Amino acid sequence: MKRDSFLEQIGWLGAALGLALLLTVLVALPAGAPPFETIYVLFKGGLSSISKIGRVFSVWVPLTLCAVGLLLPFTARLWNIGVEGQVIMGAIFCTAALRPYDEGGMMQIAIAIGAGMLGGALWALLAGLLRVFGRVHEIFSGLGLNFVALGVTLWLIFGPWKRAGVASMSGTQPIDISLWLPKIGKLSVSWIGLALTITAIIAVYFLLHRTKWGLKLRAVGENPKAATLFALGPRRRLLQAFMICGACAGLAGATQVLGVYHRLLPAISSNYGYTALLVGMMASYRLGLVPFICLFFAILNVGSIQLPLQMGLDSSLSGVIQGVMVLSVFIIQGVRMWVREREEVD
Amino acid sequence: MIVLKDIHKHYGRVRANDGISLTLEPGHIYALVGENGAGKSTLMRVLAGHTRPTSGQIGINDKTISHLTPKLARKYGVGMLYQDPLDFPAMPIWENFQLGAPKRTKREVIDILGELSYRLDACFLPDETVSSLTVGERQLLELLRLLDLGATTLILDEPTTGITPEQKQDLFNLLMKLAREENHTIILVTHKLSEALEMADSILIMRQGALVSTLTPPYDENELVSLMFGEAAKGVVSELPEIPSPAPPPRLRMNDALFAGPKYSMGSLNFTARPGECIGLAGLDGSGQELFLRGLCGLDRMPGGTLELNGKTFRSNDFNVLRRAGVHFVPADRLGMALFPALSLMEHITLTFPDHNDDLGEFYKSQCVERFNLRADPDTQADELSGGNQQRLLLSLIPDNASLLLMEYPTRGLDAGSSRQVWNHLKDRCAKGASLIFFSPDLDDVLEHSHRIIVFYDRAIAAVVDRKDATMDVIGALMAGKTLAEIKEGQQ
Amino acid sequence: MEIFALTLAGIFMAGAPLVLATLGETLTEKAGIINLSLDGSILLSAMTAFAISTTFDNPWLGVLGGMGVGALIAGVLGIIGIYLGQSQLAVGFILTLLCRDLAYFLGHSFSRQPGPDLGMWTIPGIGDITFIGPLFGSQSPVVYLSLFAIFLCWWWMYRTEGGIRLRAVGESPRAAFGRGIRVRLVRLCYCLAGGALVGMAGAAYSLAVKPGWGRPQGCEGAGWIVLAIVIFGGWHPVRAALGAFFFAAIQISGIYLQDVFPSIPAPVFQVAPFPIMILTLLAMNTGRMGWVQDFVRRYPFLKNASKGWSVEAPAALGEDFNPKKGL
Repeated sequence: MKRDSFLEQIGWLGAALGLALLLTVLVALPAGAPPFETIYVLFKGGLSSISKIGRVFSVWVPLTLCAVGLLLPFTARLWNIGVEGQVIMGAIFCTAALRPYDEGGMMQIAIAIGAGMLGGALWALLAGLLRVFGRVHEIFSGLGLNFVALGVTLWLIFGPWKRAGVASMSGTQPIDISLWLPKIGKLSVSWIGLALTITAIIAVYFLLHRTKWGLKLRAVGENPKAATLFALGPRRRLLQAFMICGACAGLAGATQVLGVYHRLLPAISSNYGYTALLVGMMASYRLGLVPFICLFFAILNVGSIQLPLQMGLDSSLSGVIQGVMVLSVFIIQGVRMWVREREEVD
Repeated sequence: MIVLKDIHKHYGRVRANDGISLTLEPGHIYALVGENGAGKSTLMRVLAGHTRPTSGQIGINDKTISHLTPKLARKYGVGMLYQDPLDFPAMPIWENFQLGAPKRTKREVIDILGELSYRLDACFLPDETVSSLTVGERQLLELLRLLDLGATTLILDEPTTGITPEQKQDLFNLLMKLAREENHTIILVTHKLSEALEMADSILIMRQGALVSTLTPPYDENELVSLMFGEAAKGVVSELPEIPSPAPPPRLRMNDALFAGPKYSMGSLNFTARPGECIGLAGLDGSGQELFLRGLCGLDRMPGGTLELNGKTFRSNDFNVLRRAGVHFVPADRLGMALFPALSLMEHITLTFPDHNDDLGEFYKSQCVERFNLRADPDTQADELSGGNQQRLLLSLIPDNASLLLMEYPTRGLDAGSSRQVWNHLKDRCAKGASLIFFSPDLDDVLEHSHRIIVFYDRAIAAVVDRKDATMDVIGALMAGKTLAEIKEGQQ
Repeated sequence: MEIFALTLAGIFMAGAPLVLATLGETLTEKAGIINLSLDGSILLSAMTAFAISTTFDNPWLGVLGGMGVGALIAGVLGIIGIYLGQSQLAVGFILTLLCRDLAYFLGHSFSRQPGPDLGMWTIPGIGDITFIGPLFGSQSPVVYLSLFAIFLCWWWMYRTEGGIRLRAVGESPRAAFGRGIRVRLVRLCYCLAGGALVGMAGAAYSLAVKPGWGRPQGCEGAGWIVLAIVIFGGWHPVRAALGAFFFAAIQISGIYLQDVFPSIPAPVFQVAPFPIMILTLLAMNTGRMGWVQDFVRRYPFLKNASKGWSVEAPAALGEDFNPKKGL
């Protein structure tokens, strides 16, 4: 097959971005929003000060954790759509591990992070078991479990973990400040979160590209039936991929509790799981692109907080732009294939 | 009259058809012969409007066009019957018959179907689903459908694969009648010379995408063979290996084994195979031979009975346990079931032989290139390999100490040279003590390469026939449901 | 009796949008295309329907608008999935998230606003009949629409030429192409038709079942349930509709159970359908599991009882077809 030259690739990328911009303007018009001013506010809201950049990175950490974790099931051609629920479960387990402590230090934080990863991994294992042994498509098992995790959170917040006197959507009793992840200066991002994320990126790179395990996982994704014939243990491999991904998501949930919200609340996952799926698709499951797309999406997320304040618009515009971008990438990919097909015919 | 002029069809660099011109006249039976991969099917798909040619012209009824569509082909009365019938298994027969025809009510469809079936000596229950039919019946239904649409040019792509000799004879009689009495043009696409010799008014020979010759009777078989195969015609097929006597202890013994697949189960299987033996399986599609092979290697379950392998008893047929004990299975659908399409040759080797990780390059050379004549760059992806090379790769991945080889249609889609190489390799393994159990829908292959033949009928073993008793007629009759006793009675 | 009929009437009402969306998705999937964007499509068409009805003060215009939006989204999916050859699942999923956010973004100014709804239709003369009266005498128009749609879909799929062609392209696009059917076009048409029904379901939410618009609207997650019901329904419109009513019954019973267990917070009951969805799918697959098959073999009477439990998806569901590549 003919590979496009570098210039051509840049051209296609430009086409995708242009299409995304056009579509964004088109969908923003009915809301009566001046498109370019809106986009300006959006980026200014994410980049205009150091503290905002700090906040961008505090979004980047859980988003990237989820997205790199997702590459493993993606490699096996499975959609871990349940990553959202795994973030929530990680947060629940993390909060549970901290309940006995009124205060603490690194030791307690480490335990809480471990518990979060365990929670995410177990929730992913459940989705994986349903898929591998129950033959329930992972979209349904994962999605259903997302809602169940949300239900468990609500039950805990309104039930057993109710704050004394009040039960509200604002969540559980906040954890003591000694259990918070240490921040970098006055920024809202923690060096522990950043370090863990970079470690996760490197670990996933090694797993996928430098170990036999990665090759086997790729083989399982290519053809599960042949994987059985080659005695690669496809089922075990799939469950492992799910669990590692779940652990990453659980870690993301733990950083949300320890570093951002300092308590368990219904919106603890901030939709990062679903957004991470978009990131994975936009990156065509290539690890190298993931951190950068996550960064861009994080800027949009942080910037969109300004929309209701400054323009009276709903903050979900960031989600719209993210969706439109990924959709544009798919459209341009399709057009590219179509053009190539026509060239081959001639 | 149909005139094809300078038809080219290229797939990337592959030239499936390379400038083919020919003329087809009504009332004639043509045989289009050539090896697998010679480009026969592609040419016929162009004629049926299912594939658009890269260049060339088609002249039908004094009109010249650049390509046909299925709709146009139907208008001009061209109909094609595929090797795997192109129908809708999950839908009822009458809907299959009606689809693509002008609007009619169900009542009308059933009446017409009944009338046509009566005329051609067939019987169909209109409300049954097509999946309940055998391949032969499905072909016949397709044929009826094409005739109902007014097809006067009928293309049949390898119609005799997977049907019994008796069904084949009926089909040939029917074709003969259509050509002689109703002035239809029949094109029989086949890789079997015997069928061409038996039927054709003229034989069109294709090789490597080109039409090399058109022969008319009287045919010279030797000329035909050399035109069709070229140099490859000269190769030699090794003889079946002798089974050592006195017979060594059995390689495989099945004791009342019960195999259960996703669709059906097959019980009380008792069979013994000796080392060095080649055992062929014969049976119509879905008669049980698939389950037999898949059960033996552990891909389908064995809820009852036991297996004995080299004297060791297995109560369950776990795939990995059996694989370690030397049972290896090679499915017919190589790319779909046995290889990883986007992984390279080298990665396949890495996955199969973890012990050779340090000297992979060397090992690849000695194992694949030298022993199996696999001429491809080790970085080639599996889906870019030819069918022959895929099979060579799969055979090279089976370790030397494998004691029981289970092969599904080992020569599917291979050209003559590759097929011969595959058979020679398998027989070589048997001569060194391995046992082979294989299935092929091509009865000639089964008869030629087996010491014994297990015939399946209706999801059970119908009979086990020794080489000396195995003739096309006997095996064919068993496949169609006759018992051995009945056949003997008939012969006397 | 009266209470039973009223409960049933409630189920019909709650089930109406589920039925409409399920039928739409069944049509689409029967043609071999998976429209995964349901959850977002329903929300966006619900928002559009409400916005249009409020602006023009005509709820039926809103229904039309909702159907248009549903068809539009399905059309986007259809063109990218069918003609540009991209993964239907991926595009569907992107559209789900995109449409949901788009609905919240565009619907911002309509949030918590009063607006018209479809009201009730009264069928004269049957209001006094026991059981039938409370059930059908006076119902929301969407209930009558959904019941009529069940019949229409069944009739179209199994009693017309078009229905045969529809099933053919979902069963084997290659064979359908060989019969001269324009496979991609037929698929796109059913994508659009299915999308329009899904859009109607969205309108049914915001104009009848849960009138109004807001964040959250209250129908979040329904699209996913619908996708599972299609499987549960074995791609048959009548069975699928029964599945939809089954899930509507679960939703209704959640409301009753809330009164019985006041200590459990209300949102917990709202997620109840999802574990049931997983369990249903799990139960349906048991027939394919080895140990179950062995069990059935041992007790032959189970064989008839379990007939029809496992269902087969359209053989070419989600499969790409490109006629240019030939057969």
